[in-house]
Amino acid sequence: MGFELVAPRSPEEAFRLLEEGAGAASVLAGGTDLLFDLDRVTTAPRRVVSLRHLPWRGHAWQGDTLVVGSTEPLYELERDGSVAARLPGLHTAIRAVGSRALRHRATLGGNLARAAPASDLLPILLALDATVEIAGPAGTRRMELDRFLLASRTTALRPPELIRSVTVPAAPSVYLWQRVRPANDISQVGVAIAHPGPAVYRIAVGGIVPRPRRLPGAEAGLLSDPPPGPERVRAAEEAAREAPFPSDRRATEEHRRRVVRALVERGLVHLAGGAA
Amino acid sequence: MIRADAPAKLEGRIRFGTDRTRPGMLWAALVPAPVAHGRIRQLDLDPARRAPGVVAAIGAAEERALLPGRGAEATPIFPGEIRYRNQPIAAIAARSLEEARAAARAVRAEIEPLPLLADLDSVLPGWPEEGLPADAPINAHVRARHGDVEGEFARADRVRRDAFRTSGVAQVPLEPHACIAWIEGEVWHVLTSTQSPFGVREDAGELLGLPPERLVVEGSWVGGGFGGKVAALVEPYALLLAAASGAPVRLALTYREEFQLTRSTLPARVWIASAVRGGHLTARTVRLLLDTGGSLPGRDFATGYAIAFLLGPYRLDAFEVEGYAVRTHKPPFGSHRAPLAPQCTFAADGHTDALARDLGVDPVAFRRAHVWTAGDRTALGQEVGPFGAAAALDRARALQEEWRRSMPAGTGLGVGLGYWSTGTGAGGEVRLSLTPERLTIHEGEREIGSGSVVRGLVAMAERTLGLPADRIVLEYGDTATAPYDAGVFGSRTLGALGQAVGAAAHELTAELGRRLGAAGPARLGVEGDELWAAADGRRSPIAQLLTPGERDHGGLLRTGRHYGRSGAIDPARVHAGEFYAYHDFTASVHLAAVQVDRETGQVTVLRYAAIQDAGRVIDPPTFRAQVEGGVAMGLGTALTEEMLWGPDGRLENPGLLDYRVPTLLEIPPIEVIPLEGFPGAGPEGAKGVGEPPIIPVPAAVANAVADATGVRLYELPLTPERVARALMAR
Repeated sequence: MGFELVAPRSPEEAFRLLEEGAGAASVLAGGTDLLFDLDRVTTAPRRVVSLRHLPWRGHAWQGDTLVVGSTEPLYELERDGSVAARLPGLHTAIRAVGSRALRHRATLGGNLARAAPASDLLPILLALDATVEIAGPAGTRRMELDRFLLASRTTALRPPELIRSVTVPAAPSVYLWQRVRPANDISQVGVAIAHPGPAVYRIAVGGIVPRPRRLPGAEAGLLSDPPPGPERVRAAEEAAREAPFPSDRRATEEHRRRVVRALVERGLVHLAGGAA
Repeated sequence: MIRADAPAKLEGRIRFGTDRTRPGMLWAALVPAPVAHGRIRQLDLDPARRAPGVVAAIGAAEERALLPGRGAEATPIFPGEIRYRNQPIAAIAARSLEEARAAARAVRAEIEPLPLLADLDSVLPGWPEEGLPADAPINAHVRARHGDVEGEFARADRVRRDAFRTSGVAQVPLEPHACIAWIEGEVWHVLTSTQSPFGVREDAGELLGLPPERLVVEGSWVGGGFGGKVAALVEPYALLLAAASGAPVRLALTYREEFQLTRSTLPARVWIASAVRGGHLTARTVRLLLDTGGSLPGRDFATGYAIAFLLGPYRLDAFEVEGYAVRTHKPPFGSHRAPLAPQCTFAADGHTDALARDLGVDPVAFRRAHVWTAGDRTALGQEVGPFGAAAALDRARALQEEWRRSMPAGTGLGVGLGYWSTGTGAGGEVRLSLTPERLTIHEGEREIGSGSVVRGLVAMAERTLGLPADRIVLEYGDTATAPYDAGVFGSRTLGALGQAVGAAAHELTAELGRRLGAAGPARLGVEGDELWAAADGRRSPIAQLLTPGERDHGGLLRTGRHYGRSGAIDPARVHAGEFYAYHDFTASVHLAAVQVDRETGQVTVLRYAAIQDAGRVIDPPTFRAQVEGGVAMGLGTALTEEMLWGPDGRLENPGLLDYRVPTLLEIPPIEVIPLEGFPGAGPEGAKGVGEPPIIPVPAAVANAVADATGVRLYELPLTPERVARALMAR
């Protein structure tokens, strides 16, 4: 019972502490997900390594690309008007995460590393072609988010590696979600669409198995700019057909399919300048 | 200052049950049953006893040894036969909470699984079309009828039949059940977060075989009750552990356990049929199956009370109701703010709304044409007293027309009509003591959050004595020292205890009048630091009116009691089970405006108005808060809250992540409209408003969804998926 809580000040120290505790160390980067596991004793680490003192907080624009430190609390992105203006889909998705109190704690890196299948951030980051910078004792490496996410709650991180930053190119984008309760609930599905250039649409869906992913079949049918009604409907139907939806206590497969169809069409209308 | 408890609560200084400690205290954990139905063959507590920090580990055998004087007929606290999943089969006291929990996990039990009664559908799939099997697991049967039911249905020119399903809901107090128990000589003590210290004394005393003089219960500040803390739950375990360990023992449920062990409203199935002739509602028949979980036979309180709500507050020439309380392997049925009335009203009022639409009549006008007014008789034959339903419906209709004009096209508007009664029958007493400095109200209830104690009782003393609130203090006793009161439930606190304050105040002012040599009662007032009394032009400081004994020993004392009387139902109409008479008739008429997303099924409540028959509003801010709170809680029942049990009897959503109470973002602006002039059973004709404002919410919302979409929902809650499926099926 009980664990040791440590808060290293350098990445090297963090790697060392994680390696020493191999197999019995958990990473704390906000803790809004980890604390559930600790409370239910589904995880019983002997050591918890907090990243709060690592020099990775903050976010900045590098040209048209947003670089977010992995320990940046979501609320810092939420309150930055430039994020809302240049990455509207990401901004909506961030506001969909938990409650405001929770977003003061939750971090972008924590959300990615936990890789929850119902995450509101993964679909929009997939649609925006985000890349992940991974730091480890041997140096850093970069990886597309799509390759980083292996399965539900499984990523390409090799302990003691940590996410250092996330890079998100700016693009017109939209995120739409469905829940039983609008505020502070887990999304049944989330639909993210990015529109980075003429006639280019990238669609990603969350709330599917095994983890959020892009839907190339639906994207492939979108050839016009803006896509006319029948093209939008075909893409929406293809998305609803293509994505592997589960049935669980939050929603049936049938409901998820119906909602994804509606939300993809709405998202495309929104990006074409209509109301979502 | 509106409420005396506000500063301490806002600053976090109030100590709720979960915050209380006692020197030398041990920490307790419960051992949950791993199946929902089974027989315990063997319980091995030794691994727990050997675990670090453990002082006591107890199960059924230890319980019997600790309670040698208890009668053989008593229900055991630790069961031989498990009746619901997570039912405590043993308990541990240890030096730390972590050690207690670790030891609880070490307990080994050999359990023979027994067949599971999971839910109404699997237990009684055929009723009412088919008869009841001889071995049906029934806790209670109720049946009542009057008039020529078959004749009215045969003569009807329109008949409508509907079937509804409702869900189990949890009370979700922010503070879970928590208590500390200790033994002093022959007397067992427990300090607990409860809505009813005397109720806990009664329940726990029965379970433990302790007479009232050997069990003392003291209430702590309560972080929300909503009906979940009216009976003993954690106290017997803590008391047994205190007896076993010889030390004070603290037991608080985890938030998960609060959901798993809570005794609350369970699922129901309802069938309603109405007969109409010449535009008049003439007869109604009702069938009810109520899941009462692991409730013991003979303990059903809900079925007869709830089933009457399915008839609605309407004049009927003939009716028949029949219902069964069904045993399943869930925790026992328990109170939840107006138990089952929101669910029954969803069914009854939805059915009535649909019937009016079938007839091409405005649903509000249809209700208005049939609703009780004073002098009518209820279906069970009780004479109806002053009842504000007709006036409230008129108000709602005017408001609906106004909203219809001002809100965007596509908005659905729905009215819900519910009724209730102030539970003044459960009695209560208070003792007032007047000193030269202040008036003290001695009473047995702790504030549960609504304000009915800290504000309601003080407001009554202000009104009856003429003293300002800052000269009135509440003093809570335990069950050994406080005057008896039944509990803070049943919308009764102001109705019963408020009347008791009024009665004691009347005695006090009469006595002061006599001491002044006046013919009538005295008025009280304050001048500087001093209280005075005046009557017939005579005036004196209180200090000079008290005897030396009173000055030295607690002031001038007077006791007030109130035991309300209900009307009577006609026993000839009751054919089986228990039905209940009302103490008064309280109407709640709500108007909801919703928007429905036709693809996703999302229902958004845009605007809400609650017209509350109040008799008389004693304290406007407290009244308003009660109505707003009731609406907010009712929106959860209507839209998002649902306890989900698996086929193995496991509660699948024991936490706030998947048991969804409304947040502030889902609660729309609420217009609270008091309706006075139809007096009830409380002081000055006030009616209790703790429960009534939750009752019509699911009905109003569902009726609004039907108005927006033309599609009616027959199952609570109205989740997006249920709404979308109903829209697709059209």
